[in-house]
Amino acid sequence: MRLVLLLLLLILFLLSHPPKIAAESSYVLPYPSFMPGNKFHSVEVVWDKILSFWYFGSFSQFQYNLHQSDQYLVEAKTLFEYKQYVLAMNSLEKSNGFFINSIDSLKSAKEENKDITDKMMLLQNASEKHSEVLQDIDRFTPDLFEWTPEKKYPTLIHIKKNLQEAVEIRRKSYE
Amino acid sequence: MSKNTYFIWYLFLLFGIVIFSYLFIDRNLIYYQILYTGISDLYKFQTTVVYILLIVCLYLTYFYVLRLSLQNKISKQQVFILICVTIFILFLSYPAALSYDVFNYILTSKVLFLYRENPYIVFPTEFINEPYLQFTRAANKIALYGPGWILLTGIPYILSFGTFIGFLLSVKALIVGFYIFTLALIWKITRNIYSIVFFGLNPLVVFETLISSHNDIVMMFFALSSFYLIQKRKFIPALILFLFSVSIKYVTILLLPIFIFVILMQLKRKKINWDRIYIFSAVCMIIGFLFSPIREEFYAWYAVWFLTFITLTPGRKKIIFLSQALCFGLMMRYVPYMISGTYIGLTPFFKEVVTFLPVFGALLYILVQKYIWPKKSSH
Repeated sequence: MRLVLLLLLLILFLLSHPPKIAAESSYVLPYPSFMPGNKFHSVEVVWDKILSFWYFGSFSQFQYNLHQSDQYLVEAKTLFEYKQYVLAMNSLEKSNGFFINSIDSLKSAKEENKDITDKMMLLQNASEKHSEVLQDIDRFTPDLFEWTPEKKYPTLIHIKKNLQEAVEIRRKSYE
Repeated sequence: MSKNTYFIWYLFLLFGIVIFSYLFIDRNLIYYQILYTGISDLYKFQTTVVYILLIVCLYLTYFYVLRLSLQNKISKQQVFILICVTIFILFLSYPAALSYDVFNYILTSKVLFLYRENPYIVFPTEFINEPYLQFTRAANKIALYGPGWILLTGIPYILSFGTFIGFLLSVKALIVGFYIFTLALIWKITRNIYSIVFFGLNPLVVFETLISSHNDIVMMFFALSSFYLIQKRKFIPALILFLFSVSIKYVTILLLPIFIFVILMQLKRKKINWDRIYIFSAVCMIIGFLFSPIREEFYAWYAVWFLTFITLTPGRKKIIFLSQALCFGLMMRYVPYMISGTYIGLTPFFKEVVTFLPVFGALLYILVQKYIWPKKSSH
């Protein structure tokens, strides 16, 4: 009897305290496109560069930069998964750069007296999603990686530090 | 009815149309609040009856002038006066009585010239505090028109000095300008008063161009200009104008095979049957018109595409007869929505019925005349 009561209490306790699941951002990231090494990758890079002229105006630039940042982040994640750390760091750096540009685009829009409320919300959602992905990467990557190119001195890549910096860049967009 | 009586009647009719157009002022159009009555919403049936009466009267007067021009009973000067009077009076009309497109032109122009954003990427609704959003429809879409047209709207944007009324009147003036240019070109090509009356006073052209300010007339002017320049053997300017026409609303791309054919024939110095060329061009434009439901639906102003070319073939009586029937049907297309106030339910079905019923009627009349009661030959 005592055992049954104990079991009931345990069930009640579990039901009243459902397991906490980390809230996931509803922001959707794109699928990875052509990866570095693919012959179409460089074509895509040139095409994206050309597209940047089509996306004139602060709102358009915001859209363009955020999309590029998303794309390079997804690329970085895929490369990290395949342990291509050097290429992955390069993609992450590009993603960071475009993310900073998207913040700058919004600042320009604000200076032009455009209402940026919706865009700020979008940026915040993107920032949360990016941070989620970056923390996820952090879980399965080493803190440090020594890269030894052929006939050159080895280089130490601070993966954890760079990932933290990337999260920090995204966090700053809240401010 | 004498010509003077007709003229006074026509003036009354035009003023009636102007007053009628103001019954449709949108309640959210803050700039016209003082003129808002809400009559078109409150008295749908009566408004529809008045609309039908106005259209029928306008068609009757139009056919009267057409007959006069066929019988050479109306002079060039008289037609000129009629057209000038039509332009000046209808310039006073409210442009969004039957279609809201003019507001869309204005807002798209604002996205590019005021906000300096690419209208093919940024929606007007992204500018949350934009006051024109209150009365503009389909503002949650990227630009619907070609870059040529958006660039052209830079002229009214500059002339408006930032005011809505200034913008609206400038867009109207721009469209009126192209209407006049088109008529001048038709005159240059045909030297025929009938053609001028046929196109310039056609109720559909008058409503859709001089009242609703649709940009189709701009596209057709450039297309027609390119054909005219080919006749004059100026191929490069013709090509530029043709491309510009395509950049207004894309549909004139359907004329490309004819355009290339005519250039080749001119280069080979072969004789061109221009009457046939214009008929083929009209057919291409009718194809564009018939395929328009893929994108949206048959809109009345799309008739300007083929009417421009049909105008240049005054001898093709059956085609002219059928096109007039279609134009009348297209003008009646507004009736189901006007009377019901909804786009759903039976409205779409009745829109198709009223559009094509006159065409079937006209076809039946032609068939009956040909096979059942053929006209006796004169000899």
